[in-house]
Amino acid sequence: MQSPLRLERRLTQPKWLNWGVPLLSLLGALILGGIVLFATGKNPISVYARIVERGFASTDAFSRTLISATPFAFTGLAASVAFRMGLINIGGEGQLYLGTIGAAFAGIAFQDQPTAVIIATMIIFGMLFGGAWAAIVGILKAKFSTNEIITSLMLNYVAAIFLDYLIFNSSSYWRDPKSYGFPTGKRLTKNAYWNDISIGSIEIPFGFVVAVVAAVIVWFLYNRTRFGYEVGVIASSPNAARYAGIRARWKIITVMALSGALAGLGGASDVGDFRHVLDAKGVQISGYGYTGIVVAALARLNPLSAIFVAVFLGGLSNAGYALQGPDFPSGLVGTLQGLILFTAVAGEILTRYRIKRQNTIADGVIV
Amino acid sequence: MNGIVKRFPGVVANDGVNFEARAGEVHALLGENGAGKSTLSNVLTGLYRPDEGTVSLNDEVVHFDSPRIALERGIGMVHQHFRLVNSFTVAENIILGEQSSSLFMDTASAVERISALATQYGIAVDPSARIWQLSVGEQQRVEILKALYHGAKVLILDEPTAVLTPQEADALFTVLRSMVAEGRTVIFISHKLDEVMAVADRVTVLRAGKTVSTIECATTSTRELARLMVGRDVVFDRVIRANHAKPDNIVLQVSNIDATDDRGRQALKSISLTIGESEIVAIAGVAGNGQRELAEVISGMRPATRGTIAVNNEVVPNSRVRKAMTAGISHVPEDRLHTGLVADHSIEDNLILKSYRGAPISKMSVLRRRIIRAQAKETIEKYDVKTPDTITPIRLLSGGNVQKVLLAREFDSLPSVMVVSSPTRGLDVGAIENVRKRLVDAADSGVGVLLISEDLEEIFALADRILVMYEGSIVGNIPAAEANRESIGLLMGGGSLSAENN
Amino acid sequence: MASGVFYGTPLFFAALGELFTERSGVLNLGVEGMMLMGGVSAVWASQHIPGTSWFVVLCSILIGAFAGALVAALHAFLCVTLRTNQTVAGLSITIFAGALGLSSYFANVWDVASETVKHPIRILNPGGLADTPIVGPILFHQTILTYLSWVLCVLSVVYLFRTRTGLKLRSVGESPQTADAVGINVAKYRYIHTILGGALAGVGGTYYSLTIVPQWVDGVTKGAGWIAIALVIFGFWRPDLTLLGAYLFGALQSLGLTLKSRNIQINGSILDAMPFIMTVLVLVIVSGGWAHKRLRAPASLGVPYEREER
Repeated sequence: MQSPLRLERRLTQPKWLNWGVPLLSLLGALILGGIVLFATGKNPISVYARIVERGFASTDAFSRTLISATPFAFTGLAASVAFRMGLINIGGEGQLYLGTIGAAFAGIAFQDQPTAVIIATMIIFGMLFGGAWAAIVGILKAKFSTNEIITSLMLNYVAAIFLDYLIFNSSSYWRDPKSYGFPTGKRLTKNAYWNDISIGSIEIPFGFVVAVVAAVIVWFLYNRTRFGYEVGVIASSPNAARYAGIRARWKIITVMALSGALAGLGGASDVGDFRHVLDAKGVQISGYGYTGIVVAALARLNPLSAIFVAVFLGGLSNAGYALQGPDFPSGLVGTLQGLILFTAVAGEILTRYRIKRQNTIADGVIV
Repeated sequence: MNGIVKRFPGVVANDGVNFEARAGEVHALLGENGAGKSTLSNVLTGLYRPDEGTVSLNDEVVHFDSPRIALERGIGMVHQHFRLVNSFTVAENIILGEQSSSLFMDTASAVERISALATQYGIAVDPSARIWQLSVGEQQRVEILKALYHGAKVLILDEPTAVLTPQEADALFTVLRSMVAEGRTVIFISHKLDEVMAVADRVTVLRAGKTVSTIECATTSTRELARLMVGRDVVFDRVIRANHAKPDNIVLQVSNIDATDDRGRQALKSISLTIGESEIVAIAGVAGNGQRELAEVISGMRPATRGTIAVNNEVVPNSRVRKAMTAGISHVPEDRLHTGLVADHSIEDNLILKSYRGAPISKMSVLRRRIIRAQAKETIEKYDVKTPDTITPIRLLSGGNVQKVLLAREFDSLPSVMVVSSPTRGLDVGAIENVRKRLVDAADSGVGVLLISEDLEEIFALADRILVMYEGSIVGNIPAAEANRESIGLLMGGGSLSAENN
Repeated sequence: MASGVFYGTPLFFAALGELFTERSGVLNLGVEGMMLMGGVSAVWASQHIPGTSWFVVLCSILIGAFAGALVAALHAFLCVTLRTNQTVAGLSITIFAGALGLSSYFANVWDVASETVKHPIRILNPGGLADTPIVGPILFHQTILTYLSWVLCVLSVVYLFRTRTGLKLRSVGESPQTADAVGINVAKYRYIHTILGGALAGVGGTYYSLTIVPQWVDGVTKGAGWIAIALVIFGFWRPDLTLLGAYLFGALQSLGLTLKSRNIQINGSILDAMPFIMTVLVLVIVSGGWAHKRLRAPASLGVPYEREER
């Protein structure tokens, strides 16, 4: 089976690819999505127009977009941090759940403290829980070379079950004993709410600001410190890392923990900024962790870009939510996200390979 | 094979090679690394297509469009790196390539046939054993059986004894003899003179892509073969040294080092050597005789199972790269882009690969980009590296410039000892000169240089003393003034200087 | 026990599909998406194809398989031809086709969620033996798909370990270089078995939408696709062990449900978590030391194959 086209490794990467690829991917995804819409009897232009309108076109819409974007920003950062060292951590989902558990605990336990203290403890606990959960994956990989894709995935499920257990299947510290009928978690007190920051008429969730700060810190860590340098060497050339005496094992655990901590921070934000309660079902349905992977891929693992991509996907998600109805089926958002990922991934190939015609004559005989 | 020419970018691997092998003989193909032996055999087995020239089987010109066709015409090859599936049994591996229309595997009859073949040729192998359970020697036997099973009339073996113990090698020779006894042909590629003399009927010597000569083994000696392999003595200019070697001020002492290779076999057998201040000690030898492992042990990348390394009379802890670095050991590996450097990183990032941990490059764990860049700019000027800037990824540089960067980093780390492997391989003339000059400058400034190279010309030009490594041991230690190509070549092939081998 | 078989059957289909895919060296994390696409397509078929119950069921299953196969073809293209990172490709497919994606979209567009399925796959009672003690419910009270799965299991074992093609498949997954060297078309094997994997996953999906529920709900498979991936490892890439593992996991699932409904809370949750924890343990065992040589993943799993230049 010999194809007429051939992929040939590129030697250099033209600079324009860095922003060209994501943009072209986006365009490609929109076109493909448009085809799907058209084929099922909808008008792509109007659908896209409404997405833009509901996602970004007004301060109100934009504020709501930021709300959707915040968890994506955290999980996107989490995924980027791990992927940059070649660790495919798809456990952001479970690590976020653990973060919500930790933060809810802090929020309830310290409810008599001033707001600043509560927020601080929620952040710390969220990061600790999420980081620890991810560290398990890291330790397994460092010590036993187990594949982190599967282990992080499995732990997602265990985390989900744990979350369900705490709210639905036990009378735990987290569960509200007074909830009738449908079990819910304890609501956090008002002083545990993370307040928005207003700029003009745009409401920015506190968590979003934290995410931006985190993105800057991550960027700094990876681009300007010894730690980041070593991670870069390990990811790029394990042989060279060995040559330079860089120890990979500890890094694996540390990077995984960092990744989990960021996802956990997203969980803390989910509890503190938005839900103010440990909402087991709600957070599971949202699938923030998996979207985070999309964010990271689109942002090409750059933490600062991740923020922008998160806002973009947040707008998409927000519009999808707001527009839900017969004309705008719920599956559209996931479909578009998936298409964007495909095109991003295919586009990534173009940065590494060039498409050439199979050179039959020069090779002599076609095999 | 007639007038075979095979070109690769930048090098003519086979330049008008004529080669002919008869039925019922073991014909050896002798030459150093890079002489063109592997390329020639790849042409013969259909892996490469010759740019010019023809191959004929039994006087009939053939064209091999793919390895499959060569296999069908009866040409089989046992490569240095086996093509076996580890988790399969011997039988499964052998029948994998079988052309058959039947749906089901007939393991039983295959096992019978394999056992029959095995007994016929005296190859001891259990058809139901799994490959990972077998020793390397046994795996090789599976490869041979595979070729026989598919009806190979011509069997090519590429450096087969590189992975065998002497006993296994003898067993192999017996098998080969029994194969040719019934009219098959064996082509035996090697660089080991004594083995060639032991097993082959005729030998063709290749050098630098050309056929040198084809001789009957009965009428020649290892000395003569060595001479043919490395060429007549040409007078070299030895470099002029500003500071002469002081072998008595020992900077590096390697004592009784044992080590294993990646496969778990013993790569180094009680290696001991010393290097003095300003001394350039060369290790000559064909690749694969333990040189890489030695370089790795000295630099701390590979653990030694026995023995010690000392720099300036202080013992360096085993297998600790950073400790070796701080002790003053510098390593310029063979694989520049993927081991010594990070191919995708910029020049300036590569330059700090060793120095990033401390001042002035980093302060409180933060890298100081301005200083990194400034130092990088100084370095590329000082060492005349041709590059548009310091942030270009290093893999875009030419080979010579890549090596300049690597050497620059190593020299600037002010080592006491430099272990340099094949530093001029693949470089153009200008770059080669440059590298040699740098090495000499380093030695002149007091550094003890261990030069591991397969290029005899280079060794003779630079070295104060020449060691030869063969099968994990040091088999020769000769001051450069007393050495000549013939004797070194002989030692490289496993011969001994004392007796006249026949 | 019987419910273990009942719940385990779709897991087995998906896992068997993934087993073939992984045996060819391709990692497919999009199983969940393929199952859902199969499920939703089957429901559509069930609502719209006229005919007798048997005929409709048959068509639904085939269409479900076809849908899964189509999605898998996309995955194969990404992984084998474009040589993308197989993990990201698979995850993209799950997001694309998954509970919040295309399958939900189509469900809406085709309006299939509104009513229960007209022609569900029913549980049979062959020969009226369903009441025999002990084995009765296990063996004789199952759906056609379950019986089919038993046949498939046997055929798979024979295929993988007794036929030439099976040997070639395994060589592609273990060492594509070696396979290529003897003239086996690596890409062809990978394409075929990835698509086959998708088809089987699609069938697994139809089980959920046409039997267990039987109605379409977004995300009806509830993570079964991921369990199937774990199951392949748990079964050491062997169909027979995978079948047993599927029933074990299925039993745990149903047991978990039962216990929870009887208010024995914690045990229920632990049971739910068991499949995943066990998979991790299996993975640890498989990765290190003793077992590493004897029981391992296809050596080339997840690594795109690039032939060297001639």
